[in-house]
Amino acid sequence: MTIIPQPKNRRRVLIASLLSIIPGLGQIYLGEVQRGLVLLFGLPAQTAIFWAIGGQWLAATTVIIWAWNILDARKLARGTKVSLAVPILLLVVLNLAAGWHVTKIDLYELATGVPNMRRIGVSLFQPQFVVRDVRASAVYTVPGPDVTKLGYRSEPASDAPNISVSPDSVVKGQNVTVSGRKFPSNQNGVLRINVGSDWQKISIKTDSNGRFISKFVNQSTEPGDYIVEAIIGLPFNQWHPSETLKLTSRLMLETIFLALVGTAMSIIVTVPLSFFGARNLMKTSRAGRIAYAATRGLFNVLRSIEVLIIAVMLTAAVGIGPFAGVLALAIHGIGALGKLYSEAIESIEQGPIEAITATGASKLQVIAFAVVPQIIPQFISFTMYRWDINVRMATVIGLVGGGGIGYILMQYIGLLQWKEAATAIWLIAAVVMSMDYASAVIREKLL
Amino acid sequence: MSLKIEHLTKIYDDGTVALDDVSLEVPDGQFLGIIGLSGSGKSTLMRCINRLIEPTSGRIWLDDVEVTAADSNELRKIRLHIGMIFQQFNLVKRASVLTNVLTGRLGYLPAGTGLYRRFPSEEIKRAERNLARVGISEKALQRADALSGGQQQRVAIARALMQEPGILLADEPVASLDPATAHSVLKYLEEINQSDGITVICNLHFLSLTRRYAHRVVALKSGKIVFDGSPSEIDNARFREIYGEDAEEVEVR
Ligand SMILES: Nc1ncnc2c1ncn2[C@@H]1O[C@H](COP(=O)(O)OP(=O)(O)O)[C@@H](O)[C@H]1O
Ligand SMILES: [Mg+2]
Repeated sequence: MTIIPQPKNRRRVLIASLLSIIPGLGQIYLGEVQRGLVLLFGLPAQTAIFWAIGGQWLAATTVIIWAWNILDARKLARGTKVSLAVPILLLVVLNLAAGWHVTKIDLYELATGVPNMRRIGVSLFQPQFVVRDVRASAVYTVPGPDVTKLGYRSEPASDAPNISVSPDSVVKGQNVTVSGRKFPSNQNGVLRINVGSDWQKISIKTDSNGRFISKFVNQSTEPGDYIVEAIIGLPFNQWHPSETLKLTSRLMLETIFLALVGTAMSIIVTVPLSFFGARNLMKTSRAGRIAYAATRGLFNVLRSIEVLIIAVMLTAAVGIGPFAGVLALAIHGIGALGKLYSEAIESIEQGPIEAITATGASKLQVIAFAVVPQIIPQFISFTMYRWDINVRMATVIGLVGGGGIGYILMQYIGLLQWKEAATAIWLIAAVVMSMDYASAVIREKLL
Repeated sequence: MSLKIEHLTKIYDDGTVALDDVSLEVPDGQFLGIIGLSGSGKSTLMRCINRLIEPTSGRIWLDDVEVTAADSNELRKIRLHIGMIFQQFNLVKRASVLTNVLTGRLGYLPAGTGLYRRFPSEEIKRAERNLARVGISEKALQRADALSGGQQQRVAIARALMQEPGILLADEPVASLDPATAHSVLKYLEEINQSDGITVICNLHFLSLTRRYAHRVVALKSGKIVFDGSPSEIDNARFREIYGEDAEEVEVR
C-alpha cells in the first residue's frame, strides 16, 4: 500500500524536517515530547563529551545521530514511529570507540612488547621457596687497556663455602683452575662460567672433604671481568627455606594481622551503629527515622571511598606505614560492614521476639535469646568475608606504602628481582585462595 | 484463671478498627474457641490480653488484677501467668529444643540469669519434665528447626508450660498443620486444660475443630462479637452469619 501524501501531511513533514535541524524540535512538534527532549539535550551533551575527550573529529561523528533525528522526524510526521535500536547501537559503538581512544589501547605495542615479558614470565615459575643448593662465585679477568681489575676479591668467611680461580688474569686459550672448599661432601654440582651473555657449564663433584678442583679453557678475548659460579646440590635433609621465603612469609603474616586489626576496628564501631541503621528498629519514632537516615548515609559515604584513597589521605596524618593501612581498612570497613549488619538486623524474624516477650522475659533477655542468636551467624559470616577482602586489600595498600607484603613486592619489582617477586606473588595467591576457601566453608556452615 | 474484658477497642495507627467495643468474660478452667474470618480481629484480641498490642481503650482483668492498668514491671509479672502459642510456633530456630523450652522460664529468673545460657539445674529438670509431657524428650538436644511442624508446636506448648500459666492463649495453633497433626496438638491443649485446670483461649479457623474441643465458642466479625454460646448452637444460618453467605462448612477429621 502506498500512502499518497496529502497536502496537509506534506506540510507536516516539511515543518518537522525544518524544525528538527535543531535536534528534537521536530519530535516535540509532533507530540513525541520525551523523545524530543532526549534528543534536544542528549545530542549536544554527547557531542560535547566527545569533543572533550577526543577532539573535533570524534565530536563530528554525532552528525550521524543528527541525520537519524531528521529521518525520524519525517517518519513520525508520516505516522510511523521508528524503533530506537539503530541510534542506540550507533551510540554504543561510538562510545566504545571513544573509550578505546581514551584508554590508549595500542595492540601493536602489545604484540611487540610481549617478548619483553618473557624473562618476567619465566621467573614467575621460579619462585625461591626452598634452598636446594649452595652457591659460591669468583671472578677472573681478561686484561686489556681499559680494564682495571675489579676491586673486590672478597675474602669469604672461613667457614662458608667458597671458590678461587688461578690464575685470576688470563688470555684466550689459557687454562684456568677452579678450586672449591667447605661445600657439602660427595655432592654433584655444576660450574658456570660467564661467556658473554651466555653460560658455559661443567659438571663437578665434591670429595668426602667437601672440596673440588676443576679446569676449563678460557674462551673469552674481550677484556673484562668474568664470573665463575659453583652450584653444589644440597643433600635432601639439608634443604631449607630461602631467606626470601622467610622474609615474605613474615610480611605476609604482618599483612594478615593488618587486615585482622583493621577488621576488628571496624567491628567495634559497626556493631552498635548498625542497630541505628536497621529500619525495622528505627521506623517507630521520628528521631529514629532521622538516626536511620544519618547512619545509612554515613555507611554509604564510607563505603564509596576506595580504601587506597583513604590510605593515601591518612598518610598525611599518620605517615607512611602499616598504621595508615589499618585505619584505612577500618574506615572503609565501617561502611561496608555497617550496611551488611544493618540488613541482617532488618531481616530477623519478629516471631521469636514476640514469643519470648510474651513469657514475661526482660528486654535484655529478649535480646539475648531472640535477637542475638538470629544475627550472630550472619555477623560472623559477614566479618569473615570482610577479613578475607581486607587481606587482599592490605596487599594492595602495601604497594602505596601501607606496610606488609605489598611493600616488599614493590621493592622487588623496582629492583627487577623477579624470582623474589614471584615468591611474594605466589605466597599472596596461596594465602588469598585459602582464606577465600576457608571463609566460604565457614559461611556455608553458619547459614 | 478467669478473664474479664470490658469495652475493648483497638484502632491501629492506620485507622483500621480491629476490635470494636468487645466485652467478654471467661471463667476459670474454660476451653474457649474463638472463630471468625481472617481479619476479623482474633489475633488482635489475643495480643491485647497480654498487651503485646496496646489496646486503644477498654479494660482487661485477670482474676482481680487489672492488666490494662499495669506499668511495665507489673506487666512482666502478669505475663508470667499468660502462656501463648502461635501459628508459626515462633521458636528460636537455631537454638536447641531444650533452650527454647527454658526461655519460657526467663521471667522467673533474675534479669541477668540465663544471659550466658546457663540455667539452674532444677530448671533444666523442669524443662525435661515438660518435654516429656508433650512426648518429645528424645529431641531435647536437636536444633528446633530440625523438628516437624507438629513437634515444634509441642515444643512451644512445653515452653508455655514452663511459665506455670493460669491461662493459655493459642493463636491459630494448628493452622499450618495437617489435620492428623492438628488433632495431636489440640489433644495436648485439651489435656492441659483438663488436668491442670489452665484456662485455654484458642483461635481456630475450622468450626469442626472448635466443635470437637471447645466448651464455648465466641465468633468475631469485623472486630465485633456476633456469637457467644455453645458450639452445638451454631446451625447453618448462624454459620452463614459468621462466615458470609457463600461459605460452606468443611469437616476436619
Ligand atoms: N499492625 C497492624 N497495623 C494495621 N492494621 C492491622 C495490623 N495488624 C492487623 N491489622 C488489621 O486489623 C484487622 C484484624 O486483624 P487480625 O487481628 O490479624 O485478624 P485475624 O487474626 O482474625 O485474622 C485486619 O483488618 C488487619 O488487616
Ligand atoms: Mg490472625
